[in-house]
Amino acid sequence: MNYDFDWFYVKKGLPQLMEGLWLTLELTMWANLIGLVLGFLVALGMLSKIKSLIWPLTAYIEFFRCTPALVQIIWFFFCVPILFNVWWSAELMGILALGLNLAAFNAEAYRAAIQSIPVAHGDASTALGLNAFQRILYVILPQALVIATPVLITNGIGIFQQSALVALISVEELMYQGRYIATQTFRPIETLSTVALIYFMVSFPVSQLVTYVERRFKRLTN
Amino acid sequence: MPFAVIDGLIKRYGDLTIFDGFNLTMNSTDRLVLIGPSGCGKSTLLRCMMGLEKIAGGTITLGDDVYININDRGKMSLNRKVQKEVGMVFQHYTLFPHLTVLGNLCLAPVRSRGVKKSKAREKAMNLLERFGLSERANFYPSQLSGGQKQRVAIARALMLDPKLMLFDEVTSALDPELVNEVENTMMELAEAGMPMMIVTHDMHFARNIATSVVFQDRGIVIEAAPPDELFNDPKEERTRDFLSNVLHFEG
Repeated sequence: MNYDFDWFYVKKGLPQLMEGLWLTLELTMWANLIGLVLGFLVALGMLSKIKSLIWPLTAYIEFFRCTPALVQIIWFFFCVPILFNVWWSAELMGILALGLNLAAFNAEAYRAAIQSIPVAHGDASTALGLNAFQRILYVILPQALVIATPVLITNGIGIFQQSALVALISVEELMYQGRYIATQTFRPIETLSTVALIYFMVSFPVSQLVTYVERRFKRLTN
Repeated sequence: MPFAVIDGLIKRYGDLTIFDGFNLTMNSTDRLVLIGPSGCGKSTLLRCMMGLEKIAGGTITLGDDVYININDRGKMSLNRKVQKEVGMVFQHYTLFPHLTVLGNLCLAPVRSRGVKKSKAREKAMNLLERFGLSERANFYPSQLSGGQKQRVAIARALMLDPKLMLFDEVTSALDPELVNEVENTMMELAEAGMPMMIVTHDMHFARNIATSVVFQDRGIVIEAAPPDELFNDPKEERTRDFLSNVLHFEG
C-alpha cells in the first residue's frame, strides 16, 4: 500500500465533526432518559402480578430485543408517520426508537436485579415491622439499583454507539458528518478513523467507569 | 398467666400438612428450645409466630392479644401492632448489605416507628457497645465475620424492644469457632430476662440456655421438660430415639 496521509480535511472538518458529536450526545442523553425511566416502569409492570400487563410488556421487550436496532430506527422513520399520522423530525424518531430499544434492555436489567435480592430480606423486613412500601423503598430498591447500575451504564454507552445508525435517516450526528466529509473529500481513511477514534474516546472512559463502579459496589452487594 | 399461647395451629404447604392442631404454651420467664428431627416443623413454628407464614387454622396469642387467627371468611388475620412486639433472628443473618451496621440497626426504628435519627443512633451505639461491636458501627456487613454479622442481627432486632425473641438456627451457618460469641450474646440476653424461643441443633447450648426443652415430631409436641429432665430422663420412646441419635456424637 502506498498511501499519503492527508489530515488537512479532517482538521478543517473538525468543527463539523464536533457538531455531529454534540448531536450524538444529545441523542444518547434523551434515549438514556427514556431508557432509564421507562425501563424501570416496565420492570415494575413485569414484576407485578397483573397478567394483562405482563403479556403486552413481554411482547414489547422481546420485540425490541429480538430485532435489529437498525430495522427499528428505519421502521419508526417510515411507518410511524403513516400509522399514526404524526410528522415528527428524524431526530425525534431516532430518539424514540433508540429510547424504546434501550428501555427494553434496561427493563430486563432492572428486573433481574430486583429478583436477585434474596427472599429472606423480605422476611427480615417483615420481622422488623417494615410494611410493603417501606420494604421496597428502603431494602429492595437500593440494593437492586446498586446491582443494576453497571449493566445500565453498559447499555447506555451501547446506545451511544448504536446512535450512529440514525445517520441512515439523515440525522446529522457524528457518523453522518463523518461520512459526509469522507465522501466530499475522498479521504475516508483519515475521516472515518477520526470518527471511530471520537466514539472510542467517549466510550472507553465510560467502560472503565463500569469496572470501577463494579469494584466499588462489590462490598455493598454481598 | 401464660405469656404466649399457640392453640390448635394448622399449617399446610400444599398437600403437605406440617401442623394439624399444634399446641404450645410459654410463660414470660421461659426460654423454650425446640428440638426434633429435621422437617418436623421447628422453623415453621417460629415463622408462624413471626407472622411470616399463612396458617390454615388455630390462634396465636401474645400477652393479652390474640394476634394471629382465622377470620369469619376463613382467611388468616394478623394484628401488625402485636406482630411488631416479636423479634426474630434468622439462620443467614439477612443483614442489608447496602447499609452499614449502624444503618441496619436504625432503619426500622427510624423508617417504621418514627424514632428520631439521633435517638436511634444513640440507642444503636449503646447496644453495639454492650455487644462489643462499637468499632464496627460504620462497617458494611461484607466486612464482618459471620459471628459479628449474627450479633449485629440480634442487636438489630433488639432495637425495637421486642417482648419475645425468636432464634431460628442462628448458629447453623457459622464456622464452629464463631458459634460461641453468638451463643454468649444470647446467654447475656437470657440473663437479662428476655423470653425466647430457640431452634438449635446444639444440644449443649440447649441444655445451658433453656428453661424448658420442647421435643416435637411429626407436627406435635411429644415431650416438654426442663433440660436436665429431658436430656437425662426422657419419658417418651421417640424422645429417647432422637436423643440417642444426636447425643451419640457429643460424648
